[in-house]
Amino acid sequence: MKVSSHGIETDLPPGWEGRISLRRAPDGHDRALGSAGEVPNPVVHLANFPLPEQRGDFGSGAVDVMGSGDVLVVLFEYGPESVGQALFDRQGIPTALRPAMFSGSALQRTLPSQAGCQVFFTTAGRAFCCYVVLGRHDEAARLVPKANTTLRATRIGPR
Amino acid sequence: MTVVVVVEGVVIALLALLVVGLLRSHAEILRRLHQLGAGLEPDEAPAPPPGGPRPGRDFQVMPQVPSPPDREAFGGVADIAGAGVDDDAVTVRVTGVEHDTIVAFLSAGCLTCQRFWDAFRKPKKLGLPAGVRLVVVTKGRHEESPTAIGRLAPPGIPLVMSSDAWVDYDVPGSPYFVLVHGPSGRVRGEGTGPDWEQVSSLLNQASGDSAADADLAGRRVRKPVSDAEREARVDRELLAAGVRPGDPSLYEATDPADHDEGDHDHDHAAGHDGHDHPEAASS
Repeated sequence: MKVSSHGIETDLPPGWEGRISLRRAPDGHDRALGSAGEVPNPVVHLANFPLPEQRGDFGSGAVDVMGSGDVLVVLFEYGPESVGQALFDRQGIPTALRPAMFSGSALQRTLPSQAGCQVFFTTAGRAFCCYVVLGRHDEAARLVPKANTTLRATRIGPR
Repeated sequence: MTVVVVVEGVVIALLALLVVGLLRSHAEILRRLHQLGAGLEPDEAPAPPPGGPRPGRDFQVMPQVPSPPDREAFGGVADIAGAGVDDDAVTVRVTGVEHDTIVAFLSAGCLTCQRFWDAFRKPKKLGLPAGVRLVVVTKGRHEESPTAIGRLAPPGIPLVMSSDAWVDYDVPGSPYFVLVHGPSGRVRGEGTGPDWEQVSSLLNQASGDSAADADLAGRRVRKPVSDAEREARVDRELLAAGVRPGDPSLYEATDPADHDEGDHDHDHAAGHDGHDHPEAASS
């Protein structure tokens, strides 16, 4: 099943569901969410479990309901000013994640037994963060290929 | 005078025809209402559909909404893709998942739908069966006002605006509900009702019937493999020895010397109807 919007398209594997939405325009009160006047960019949430409706950009709310076999993939787009920065040097969507790349310390919010991985990249002139959360770190060997399959089915074009 | 009489006769005839027509129409309305369970007797059960009720597949249908299509194999169950109120693109998995899904087809302008919109604003009070997910589907943005849907959208419940889903599920009108078994993608029940309480009880019944069947199947104790193999081996050996089912040698042998008439509650002289003795050894 395909989900497509804002130049981002994913052909989801069976059992996965997704959301592509624009972040809410920040009002400037919470700098972590951005500054006032900032143009919101798309954020993508892809999961092999039912996505709760209340979610933060990097999956808060969703990670709280993840089970041992669950995988969450977040694609968070940064503004055009980020394109060309060293952090985003990598070209293309990461599709060959390895279990060794995951750790509990990479989680936005540490939850027992979960593990996360962050990879920054640029594609089609757009700068992204790919943030993947595994429901159970011990299951990385089984879960990481699922994330890779979904990432390989994702295409990002010009917005 | 004659003209007046004739005119009066014609008018009376026309009125009589009108009355007969009204009576027939009224009778038809009463018959349809009775079939739909809205008869004069409040305790009267609704008439079952032709061919008998289908367990887990029959809902009480409101008079304004046509009955669910009469088909055994629902060909429209599909995962749902469309737009969300906040999300620009939304997909919700309904098939090939571990949980069941209640797909609620609602609209903004439907008065009966408002009862469901109101009920869904308190998701914790919906009493959804365990392992069941509720998803609301409206028609697409070109047919429904996103602003109106946004005002009605219940918090915490997935909402997808998708006209394609209405076509896929062959929805006759709103409100309409389909309960989908996640692992198989089969429809457990479909239909509508006047409020969430009634729809919920029917869905619970459909879920409970299936759950009871699954529970019963899970409780059945399977014969251990070793027992089955032992029985098969014994059967083969007996057959090889010429001992077939019902052979007297299979039953407890009794020594004729020990065969005391007192052991029987009948008179031998009257015959042995009902049981046999092994052949007595000659003395």
